[in-house]
Amino acid sequence: MVRFKNRYVLCEVVSEDPRCRQCIEDRALGLAVRDAITRVHGDYGLACCSISFTVKYLNAYTGTVLLRCRKDSYRLLCSALPFVRCLESRAQRYPCFLNTLHVGGTIRTCQKFLIQYNRTQLLRLLQNCTNEEERQCIQKSLLSCSLTEEQSQSGDEEEDDGTE
Amino acid sequence: RRELPDGGARPNAAQFKQLVVTALRELHGEVGAALPVDVLTYEEKTLSAILRVISSGLVKLWSALTLLGFYQNRRCAFRVLQTSPFLLALSGNSRELVL
Repeated sequence: MVRFKNRYVLCEVVSEDPRCRQCIEDRALGLAVRDAITRVHGDYGLACCSISFTVKYLNAYTGTVLLRCRKDSYRLLCSALPFVRCLESRAQRYPCFLNTLHVGGTIRTCQKFLIQYNRTQLLRLLQNCTNEEERQCIQKSLLSCSLTEEQSQSGDEEEDDGTE
Repeated sequence: RRELPDGGARPNAAQFKQLVVTALRELHGEVGAALPVDVLTYEEKTLSAILRVISSGLVKLWSALTLLGFYQNRRCAFRVLQTSPFLLALSGNSRELVL
C-alpha cells in the first residue's frame, strides 16, 4: 500500500490588533509560514515542507487556519510555527502569533476536533461575557448546537462551526 | 579534513569557522547554524582543517559544505578528504601501515 500521507495542522491566529482578523488571507499566511520555515530550517527545510504545503481552510472570523503538509516533514513545520511573528497584507504589518490546536491525519478528524473546541470556547465565552445582549446571543447559539444534537444525529452538527 | 582552493586572501581560523556556520545557516537555517561544530586544527598554508561534529549532524554539515559556493565573492569548494569517528585515524592511511 503506497500512498502519500499528509498531516493537517489546525492553528489559531491570535493577535491584539482587531484589524488583523479582517486582513487574514490564505496567500499572506502561506507566505508568512514559508518565510518562518526558511529562517528556521533553511533551504532544505523549505523545500521539504513545500512539497505538499497549502492552506486548506481559513476562517477570518475566528482566526482558524488548517495547513497541510507531508507526513515526513510535519515536525519541521510544527517547530517553525512559533516563529511566525507578523502577517503582511496590503502593505500593512500586523503582529500576531499562531497557536497550534491539533495535528491530524485527515481533514475529518480536524473538523471533529474543531467542533468540540468551539463548543468549549462558547462555554468559556459565556462565563466571561459582560454584556447582557452578548450573553443572550451566546446562550442562543449554545442552545442551538446542543438542540441539533438531540433532534437529528446526522451531519447537522457539523454545520455548527461556532461563529462569534 | 577539508581543503578549499582559493585565489586571493586566505581566511584565518575564525573566518573559517564563520564560513562553516554560514554554510549551515543557508542550507539548514537557524537550527543548522546552532549545530555545535568545532574546528580542531586549521592550517592557513594548505587551507585544510579538521572539524568535529556530533555524529547525527554529519549529514547536515557535509551537505552544507558541499553546497557552499562562494567566499567573499570568489568561487571556492570544499573537499572532504577523510571522515572517521576517531581522531587518530585521520593522521595516516591505515592501509599503508607497515608493521
